[in-house]
Amino acid sequence: MVDTHGVTARSRGLASCHACLKLVPVGTHHCPRCGSPMHLREVDSLQRCVALLITACILYIPANLLPIMYTDQLGSTEASTIIGGVVLLIKLGSIPIAAIIFIASVMVPSGKLIAMFYLVWSVRSKSQLSPRQRTLLYRTTEFMGKWSMVDVFVVAILVALVHLGGLLVIRPGYAALSFAGVVIVTMIAAEVFDSRLIWDALEGDSDYSKT
Amino acid sequence: MNESEPGSIACHACDLLVEVSSLKTGQSAICPRCGHFLTAKRQDAHSKVLSYSLAALVALLVAISFPFLSFSSGGLESVMTLPQTPRMIWEYGLPAVAIMVAAFIILIPAATLLMLLFLCLPLHFGRWAPWIKTMGRWVFHLQNWAMVEVFIIGVIVSLVKIAKMATVSLGLSFWGYVAFSILFTLAIAALDRYQVWTEIEALETTHG
Repeated sequence: MVDTHGVTARSRGLASCHACLKLVPVGTHHCPRCGSPMHLREVDSLQRCVALLITACILYIPANLLPIMYTDQLGSTEASTIIGGVVLLIKLGSIPIAAIIFIASVMVPSGKLIAMFYLVWSVRSKSQLSPRQRTLLYRTTEFMGKWSMVDVFVVAILVALVHLGGLLVIRPGYAALSFAGVVIVTMIAAEVFDSRLIWDALEGDSDYSKT
Repeated sequence: MNESEPGSIACHACDLLVEVSSLKTGQSAICPRCGHFLTAKRQDAHSKVLSYSLAALVALLVAISFPFLSFSSGGLESVMTLPQTPRMIWEYGLPAVAIMVAAFIILIPAATLLMLLFLCLPLHFGRWAPWIKTMGRWVFHLQNWAMVEVFIIGVIVSLVKIAKMATVSLGLSFWGYVAFSILFTLAIAALDRYQVWTEIEALETTHG
């Protein structure tokens, strides 16, 4: 068990402003210092998080099935998906770069979805299991989020750079749109998730996840 | 007890109350329970933020004004500038992706830097400004959506992908963007949310 002797702001009847960190009595509607709306915890954190995670799962399907870019070379067109891009890089012999794209585009988004679903489930079931590790998992998920955009940037750069008349042209595919959607929606899901809910379970009193 | 506690922070990750009023310049505090970063008191924080932000804006100006990458194959050459990255994707019928790319690599970082200037100039000179709280509320939120360093990795991956097809060379703007990325990160890192808001509060009290 983790040491829970520390005093939390909630147990002292204080809420922390999400914008300026000022501590004010619970029930204050607007922060007296910066004017932001005050909430003890993120409003409807778990519900909004799950809704966004489901949206991301749906967007993740076309992101992987549709081509992310087309290469028109001397009259023939070649479509490549995200996984196809990784395979191509391995064939070109650039293993480190293939690893970067594989981690950023495949492992991070799917790992992030699994981690966030697990965190929501653990809070819902009032788990007491290693809150410090779960907070670390959340922080890592939050930090890794934006790195998945790397594949979308690669497409944007190649499309802008490679247009040599009829010789060689690279065009974007719709997977770029749905994949960018996955990244943004999971980033918002991580922002909406309130990691303090993990710790609230240790104090064991009433359900604050809706406050 | 139902009063605010000056000098304390509730950890944003786990809600533990931590006393930070004894923090000295050059020290930083992390949450003893969950390990989350709380605050850091830095020397000359404002002048650091101001100088890094100004330098970063100049570097961004260089990054958008000159050729970023050039690509040649079979006697044909195409040159790419930074603003063309979102524009070409727009022209191929994906305006939403174009807006996201433009926002994440140019617009949001630039807006963050301008906000840092508008926030830290009045704080540095000890003058009250009516926009100071708006800047303080937005800048910490906005900076999470800047993807400057991710874009640089994107450029490197792109280079590897097309290196076999043709000759690619880096332009002046690429180096401008690398400098921009470093300065942007330094500017963001020099600003501390808790300290800034403590200063805003103090400034408001003295200037009515």
